[in-house]
Amino acid sequence: MSKYLTFTDIIFKNEALLVAALASLGYTEVERGDQLPLYGYMGDQRAERAQLVVRRQHIGPASNDLGFARTNEGYTPIISEYDQRTMMRGQFIARLRASYNERVVEEMQRRLRGTIRREQQGTTLKLKIRY
Amino acid sequence: MPEVEFTINTETGEMEMKVEGVQGPACADVARLAKELLGEPEREENTPEFYARTQVKGQIKGNR
Repeated sequence: MSKYLTFTDIIFKNEALLVAALASLGYTEVERGDQLPLYGYMGDQRAERAQLVVRRQHIGPASNDLGFARTNEGYTPIISEYDQRTMMRGQFIARLRASYNERVVEEMQRRLRGTIRREQQGTTLKLKIRY
Repeated sequence: MPEVEFTINTETGEMEMKVEGVQGPACADVARLAKELLGEPEREENTPEFYARTQVKGQIKGNR
């Protein structure tokens, strides 16, 4: 059994952009609801509850459900220790943050009615909006 | 021309934002929009130009 970890210092403020960020990483099936239960890889119900859930069937054969709990500040991830270690070779949270931030930039471009220029230099991605 | 520059570290997911060429109140509007989508930044600062009320360079750092 893998325990769940909650990252209260990682906040995704906007639900639609979070769902879009998950989709960009291949997680297109997201269940929405209030106080949805999370299940472990053996189908055991866990104590944690979430408002957004990617069910384990969409993650991997030994994975547990991945949840996002809504707080006053935004959505915070609830991920099992096992999945944190194995999803995207341990890079899942970082890649989700990066993808969410890219979605934020796209949303700002849309609202500012600007144009965007992208430039990747190694592990640094620069995005410039002109409006 | 007003420009908002974002730098994303794809290894950590952290992002920095810099606003250039925007007058004071308009710069604050951009910062407000960013906060609406990102939450409160870890760090926020105005450069001396901001106080001079000419060319503005506001800067926000933080992932959220």
